[in-house]
Amino acid sequence: MSLRPQRIVFDDVWGCLRQTVEKVLKLNSVRRDDWNSSFTDVYSICVAFPDPLADRLYSETKLFLENHVKSQLDEFNCYMNDMNDSESGENQLLHKYYSAWKNYSQGLEYLNYLYLYLNQQHIKKQKVSEAEILYGNGTTPLTISQEQMEIGELGLDIWRLLMIQNLGDILVKQILQGIERDRVDNCLTSKDIATIHGVIHSFVMVQDYKKKGNLQLYESLFEGKMLEASGNYFTSQASKLLQNCSVSQYMQEVIRILEEENVRAHKFFHISSIQKLKKECEDRMITDHKNFLYSECKEMVSNDKRDDLRNLYVLLKPIVDGLKELIQILLEQIKNEGAESIMNLKGENIHIQFVENMLQVHQKYENLIVETFKNDPLFLSALDKACASVINSKLSDGKTTCRSAELVAKYCDNLLKKSKSTECEIETKLSKSITIFKYIEDKDVYQKFYSRMLAKRLIHDQSVNMELEEVMINKLKQACGYEFTNKLHRMYTDIGISMDLNNKFNQHLKNVNDELSINLAIKVLQAGAWPLGPQTNITFAVPQEFEQPIRKFEAFYNTSFSGRKLSWLHHLCAGELKVSLAKKSYLITMQTYQMAMLLLFENCDTMICKEVREVLQLNNDNFQKHLQSLVDQKLLLIDTEKIEDSSVLSLNLEFTNKRTKFKITASMQKESPQQEIEQTITQVDEDRKLYLQAAIVRIMKARKVLKHNALIQEILSQSKVCFAPSIPMIKKCIESLIDKQYIERTANSSDEYSYVA
Amino acid sequence: MHFLGMDDEDKSSDNEQSKPDKMFTLKRWNSVAMWSWDCSTDTCAICRVQVMDACLRCQAESKKDATNKDVTCVVCWGECNHSFHHCCISLWVKQSNRCPLCQQEWSIQRLSS
Ligand SMILES: [Zn+2]
Ligand SMILES: [Zn+2]
Ligand SMILES: [Zn+2]
Repeated sequence: MSLRPQRIVFDDVWGCLRQTVEKVLKLNSVRRDDWNSSFTDVYSICVAFPDPLADRLYSETKLFLENHVKSQLDEFNCYMNDMNDSESGENQLLHKYYSAWKNYSQGLEYLNYLYLYLNQQHIKKQKVSEAEILYGNGTTPLTISQEQMEIGELGLDIWRLLMIQNLGDILVKQILQGIERDRVDNCLTSKDIATIHGVIHSFVMVQDYKKKGNLQLYESLFEGKMLEASGNYFTSQASKLLQNCSVSQYMQEVIRILEEENVRAHKFFHISSIQKLKKECEDRMITDHKNFLYSECKEMVSNDKRDDLRNLYVLLKPIVDGLKELIQILLEQIKNEGAESIMNLKGENIHIQFVENMLQVHQKYENLIVETFKNDPLFLSALDKACASVINSKLSDGKTTCRSAELVAKYCDNLLKKSKSTECEIETKLSKSITIFKYIEDKDVYQKFYSRMLAKRLIHDQSVNMELEEVMINKLKQACGYEFTNKLHRMYTDIGISMDLNNKFNQHLKNVNDELSINLAIKVLQAGAWPLGPQTNITFAVPQEFEQPIRKFEAFYNTSFSGRKLSWLHHLCAGELKVSLAKKSYLITMQTYQMAMLLLFENCDTMICKEVREVLQLNNDNFQKHLQSLVDQKLLLIDTEKIEDSSVLSLNLEFTNKRTKFKITASMQKESPQQEIEQTITQVDEDRKLYLQAAIVRIMKARKVLKHNALIQEILSQSKVCFAPSIPMIKKCIESLIDKQYIERTANSSDEYSYVA
Repeated sequence: MHFLGMDDEDKSSDNEQSKPDKMFTLKRWNSVAMWSWDCSTDTCAICRVQVMDACLRCQAESKKDATNKDVTCVVCWGECNHSFHHCCISLWVKQSNRCPLCQQEWSIQRLSS
């Protein structure tokens, strides 16, 4: 064989080549020699001298292929004629078509290879020159009447035009009948299935070589009709089921059908149809009957029918807005159940009931959402919404403000004070209280209550465990940030610092060879951090017995720090007094004022009330309440029924008590809880203003210049963790910062501020 | 520091037989004191925040500098005995070197510790 272009007689060469082409297409065996010489024939035609004959070869081959396909089509006509007669006839056509297609597409692949030279040198080159023309580089303006394709592609196109164009509708009709049978009685043989699958995919494969629109035939010829037929099937199935199914049964059936259809789609269709078929099934069986599905929603939620809810979720999840109603119903249910659980709480332990009942509701629904709704964030946010709404709503009487903050704080106080549980149990409960805490809008109100209760625990040594106190403060810090717990933390640290100070003081006394007459333990608190209110109107003439230790400690303290002054909170002090009477001695724990009163009787047996009060310089309130407790204990005797200025007090020398060590618990706090709550709330307002001012300074320092509305938005988003400030309050704070010259209005705009460094 | 601690030993354990010479003996005292800066006013006249708390600027920055806030925001006394946050008065004197309360020339007497 020679690679040099030669003069050839086309008809001769094509005559030989054509025989091979025919064998290849019919999948008859071709001898290697014949194959090789045919391969060369293609080459020599394409490079023939003087004129290449590639175009002629192309059109002869095209004609040949067309004739080949036409004759195949003719063979099918007999099956088409009797297609209405018998089922087997129909199946026959599908089978015949499929096997013809299989052979043809296989033969075409070989043929494409045989025409390698034509495909690569002639057709590809032609495509390149086409591009040149398009971009204006070409030197020979060449008009191409008809675009040429590679032989394989040409063969597929011929099949599409001559075979599928003619037979398509009948094929599709029969495919759909087959699928219908598969749906109804599932009786297709594996050969039937392979055939249907093959025929369907032939619609894809004839256009598969195209880069764009390769599914166009599949979609227009087959997919649309398939979806329509499937839709009708689903509609009729749905109405059949609706006639005798409960919602629960219906859902199970639909889920089963969805699964079956998924299997079916994989079995027969092109992968692009799987989602579409699923969507069709959902539209016809779920969306069209949404109201039916919703009809028992409420009952499922309230009766905790988890299987049904799980099915409902699975079905509604893919539907646009399908879950909305379910979520709304769940939200209402949680709200109602939550509100009910904390309604009409009575007794001493309202705070415990409040937190634990609310937690129970929260846990129940959180668990439901995890187990049934796949932890769907939409459901979780409904849970949050519902809990927040319950916890922040006013209690049933409608008059009082929301007490949640106070109750949750009290719950923690109770845990940290009473030591019945183990440390681990307490910590777990504290963590859970944070769950409820997070829903409180006015977290700063909680903080106020918490800090008051913490102050009492720390001052009166009532904490179960100092480590737990710190653990809890850290939990709050984690939830709300440093600022929120700043003061709590300072209180906590004061206790540690005080312990240290006491040790240093004792060491100091030892060093200077001094000794106190009493066993002294002092707590030094920093003003501002502790919520103790103003101490101004509390007067007290400190008895001599206390003077000496106080002076010594103050002297020691002033050498340790500069610029500090100490004031003594005697109303918070307590101690042990040894009372030695004729028969017995007693060690009695009592408050400082009570000790001071008793100490007056060291050297005299009787005293007039007025005298006692004036010596001690106590205000009437404090005087009355502490004296009363001593009278109640019968340590002091009084000659009148009520305490009056002229009443005569005498020490009860006959006093007896079975116990030698005991405690007088004179009303430690006279403040009624209601007063305390009101005080707390007014304090909250002051702190909010400071918080907002700090926030504004922080924001303005970072941003330098900001519009009014932008500033408001930033403030709202920053303070969200603590409370929801009112706009008038924010405006007041902005004004006050302008007064103090931290910020100013910019010259060019009245609603813009800039930071003053 | 056990307020209810009944277990600590008597310092001067009396014997029950002999009659005590004093009827009342103070055994133990748990006392509470509060410290504050030795200032004539509680609030800083410049930022109008309690001198015990950090000044407004320091509070605004607390998020960045959480732990040593108390250390950095100290109180400053002038020779006139007026006191302010050191942060506040330092910025103030850049504009006018006079005490905002008494108009005397400002000079630092001492800082808190
Ligand atoms: Zn200041
Ligand atoms: Zn500062
Ligand atoms: Zn001054």
